[in-house]
Amino acid sequence: MKIHLKYPTLLVLFVMLVISSWGFVQPKERTEFIKDTSKTYGDKNQTASEKPMPIYGNWISYDSKNGLPGDKAYCVKIDGDRVLVGTHEGLAVLENGNWKTYTTEDGLTHNGILAMDVDPLTGDVWLGTMGGLSRWSTGKFENYTQMNSGMPNDLIYAVTCDGKDVWVATGGGAGCYDTYTRKWEIFTEENAPMHEPWTYGVCASDDKIYIAAWGGGIIEYTKKTKKFRDYVDPDGNMEIDLFPDDGVVHDITTGASWSNGMLWVATYFGLSRYDGVHWKGYFDHDSGLTSNFINYIKAKDDIAFICTDQGLSTTDGKNWVNYTTNENLRKGKTIIINGDDKKVMATSPSLAHNFTIGVDVEGDEIWVATSKGVSHGHLMK
Amino acid sequence: MKNAKRKTLLWMLILFGVIIYFPGRMLARHHVNDKTAVTDHPLKCTSCHVYTSKNKFVTSLINEDYYSPFNIAVSHDGSRLYVVAQDTDELLIVDTESNVVLHQLKVGVHPHSVILNKANTLAYVSNQWSDYISVIDLAVSKVTDTIKTGNGPSGLTLSADGSFLQVVNTYGSDLSVIDLSTKEELKRLGTGSDPTGTALSPDGKKLYVTSRRSKIVPYGEPLVSDLTEINGETLRVGEHHNIEEAYMMENITFTPSGDLAMMTLIRPKNLIPSVQIEGGWMMTHGIGVIEQGENGRIIQLLTDEPNSYYSDPFDIVVSPDGKRAYVSNSGADRITVISVDSIRAILKETPKEELKNIANNLGVSSRFVIKRVPTGANPKGLALSEDGKKLYIAEQLEDKIGVLDTESLQMEAPIDLGGPSRITVARQGRRLFNNAGHTFQKQYACYTCHPDHHEDGLVYNMAGKDMGRNVTNTQSLREIGDTPPFKWNGKNQTIYKQDGMRFSTVLTRTEQFSYDDLDAITAYIKRGIKYPPNLMYNPHGELTESQQRGKEIYNRTKDNFGNVIPENNRCYTCHPAPLYSNLRTADVSTLAVTDDSILFDTPHLGNIYASPPYLHDGRAATLEEIWTVYGEDNKHGYVNDLTKMQLNDLIDYLKSLGGPEQEEISSQTQETASF
Repeated sequence: MKIHLKYPTLLVLFVMLVISSWGFVQPKERTEFIKDTSKTYGDKNQTASEKPMPIYGNWISYDSKNGLPGDKAYCVKIDGDRVLVGTHEGLAVLENGNWKTYTTEDGLTHNGILAMDVDPLTGDVWLGTMGGLSRWSTGKFENYTQMNSGMPNDLIYAVTCDGKDVWVATGGGAGCYDTYTRKWEIFTEENAPMHEPWTYGVCASDDKIYIAAWGGGIIEYTKKTKKFRDYVDPDGNMEIDLFPDDGVVHDITTGASWSNGMLWVATYFGLSRYDGVHWKGYFDHDSGLTSNFINYIKAKDDIAFICTDQGLSTTDGKNWVNYTTNENLRKGKTIIINGDDKKVMATSPSLAHNFTIGVDVEGDEIWVATSKGVSHGHLMK
Repeated sequence: MKNAKRKTLLWMLILFGVIIYFPGRMLARHHVNDKTAVTDHPLKCTSCHVYTSKNKFVTSLINEDYYSPFNIAVSHDGSRLYVVAQDTDELLIVDTESNVVLHQLKVGVHPHSVILNKANTLAYVSNQWSDYISVIDLAVSKVTDTIKTGNGPSGLTLSADGSFLQVVNTYGSDLSVIDLSTKEELKRLGTGSDPTGTALSPDGKKLYVTSRRSKIVPYGEPLVSDLTEINGETLRVGEHHNIEEAYMMENITFTPSGDLAMMTLIRPKNLIPSVQIEGGWMMTHGIGVIEQGENGRIIQLLTDEPNSYYSDPFDIVVSPDGKRAYVSNSGADRITVISVDSIRAILKETPKEELKNIANNLGVSSRFVIKRVPTGANPKGLALSEDGKKLYIAEQLEDKIGVLDTESLQMEAPIDLGGPSRITVARQGRRLFNNAGHTFQKQYACYTCHPDHHEDGLVYNMAGKDMGRNVTNTQSLREIGDTPPFKWNGKNQTIYKQDGMRFSTVLTRTEQFSYDDLDAITAYIKRGIKYPPNLMYNPHGELTESQQRGKEIYNRTKDNFGNVIPENNRCYTCHPAPLYSNLRTADVSTLAVTDDSILFDTPHLGNIYASPPYLHDGRAATLEEIWTVYGEDNKHGYVNDLTKMQLNDLIDYLKSLGGPEQEEISSQTQETASF
């Protein structure tokens, strides 16, 4: 029997379209890409990569049912023997096994705590909220707002203590508060190379401050000279990273963290690392990064802890350990990628949620803030 | 013929003299009546035109340079006293056997406190108007080094091992921790507002810092002051204790056993109308006792009596056996001797719920006050000899060191530091200013609400019988001599009028000052009260870039859009340099519904950074709030076009402002007071 098609050309085109699109819809085996790209990692990170990546497990999670005032945790900080969690409903503090919550009724400027840092010298806790900055010193809150102080804006996304200065990244520019003179200095597109005043992250190195500016890449501020320079995506392409490793992967940056001479930059479109000379880009399609959508980043020693919408990634620049979860079952995976090797370990319980927003690491402990609570993990030995 | 001519000439001269004299006298009388608001003030031109003169030659003739001893330390063996002479910027080393000043060592400007190291080989002196510590080698009696501090260094402690010096920074409201091995500031810890006192527990584990100003709270809420507890080992803040309804916690000490810490304090009733003064119990004075055991209670006890008050408690020390405490009442010229065991008994038997009542009990002092010992004028810092047998008292306005025999509780002959024997008019004024003797039941001195001749940061309901009406923020008295009129409503055109009859009617509720005393206090207020140098915001007399930008905004005539700003809405119109006041009243749209309908006196802006809260009723907690919260209609300066950065620049400039002298002399070489 002879089959006559009315539109044979169209059918062929349709079949070809299906076949060619197969690669786009099928999940990629990332180890393949890792294998392909691992040879390009020839830099100062080589020594670091020889160290085994820390792997955390034995997760215990806390939410509104067992200690937190609410489920949504924005940030977390380990402060000696206590853990501070910034939630949408106030500050939760775990001390001696007990949770205690502090809210506006206790003097906090706003319950939505988006960021925090602890001054290592004084022990004062600086809380960046949706309604101002609170200095929490042993139970007493001192509040700074755009109305009662020189602070640029009440919406604070990041806080960093740097000696006597406290830096904030806000919706109205970056601000630097000198705790000795009690003066604010504001940095916006008016006096710094920013695209707009919206800033998402701020971190400090020994001699520089790095500001993650929305649409403006990374703004570098040299403390000694008080001069700025900016690092933007050189290819200027907002859709893809046209030329790999030519600079920060995208102008829309969401966070920055500096450790051991390395600046790590988070964007909603991938991860960047800068060693002072070279930039390196990481994406979910060519590295172990679990997702390009990065909410927050923290570097500790040689490891970057990357909070994404698909779980927590950790990397030393070459090797990766990712933590993901099935939010319904509270079971998840720990995916270990050492060069070409990939191991997947089932973890139960696992992270509270894949949408990770904050992380802190100290010693053998890791705490991860997620949109469904905060998770506490231990270093696996 | 010749005689007739002479007679005629003589008569003409007499006639001319009579014509001149009587209308002249009448004019003079009118002038004095106008300035003093009374009709019987003696017609003495010297009152206004000599005692308050700014002419350097005249002031050198009428004034003297006093030592004004402020704080003391005593050596282990009791042979030496180290006396801070605040007005000559010196540390005096005194031999206690011969009562002779052996050395006068120049230190920084306006020294505050002195502390000795354990070996008694070094002395550290905090220089409040220089922002550094003078290090003195006691073997050679020389200043050998200086250590930079925060702003306004005052109280001092050494860590238990002697490796850290902790310096209270009064104007910075923080504590500098100085590593003595490097002589560098290690860190700065936040404290309460305007702190001075500090004490380390005997075991070295706990350090307290007392604050003098309360936290800024809206009128109607009881005041709360901060007692900062610092971990003596980690050197981090351990806790901020709320001390309710009290402020001016000048100094603090521990008992030798460490079971109690004790501090001086004042409990003001600023929320009730000041008509209450004549009912008593408006400004009360006492001590705070902080239990160190498990209870950890903080109890306030009044040292006043029902009809007699002992104002402005300043220093407190405890005897080596822990049984007695001595408090200097600066406004009453008394040392209050306290039985600490009686206080322990009160603490033991008083249930927690009754503690608040005890804090307001004027009768409780009879249970623990052993004696009131009269001293010379204005007793300040105290020091006990190591054996506890002698109490040395810095009699600031007597220029002497009082000596109390603690066994007989009798004063011995004081140690004369060798200052001027003459009491000048301004010095007499300063004594009056600091003494509560002119107030009903001696409830308070001028100094009580104007500590350091400044202001206490509180809002009072002045004179009116209606609660909460016409509330006013205490104004600073620093450098106000040339800024009439006075009071927020500008009703008093001179200090004579302010401190004369009206003063006694409204504030002291007793007889008014005698005219000689009025001359004296006016002379002191008008010329004797200087600004501390603005080392925080204008240390070198040069504006920063931000302050320069702020100055341009201050002096601008056009807004950001190029529109001309109406003259009355420009900053400099009402606040022109050098006084930063046009000396007129104005409506800046701040009249509250509880205010009588008045215009407000334009305040000067010198050292404005040090005077929160702001506006006549203290509604603005910060300078920013004057415009971000209360400046919506652009009537208090045209600001609503400013960006946040521009407003910051403007405020940065305002904070840099000092007095007229700031531009003439460097802050480091500012003249010391000579009153």
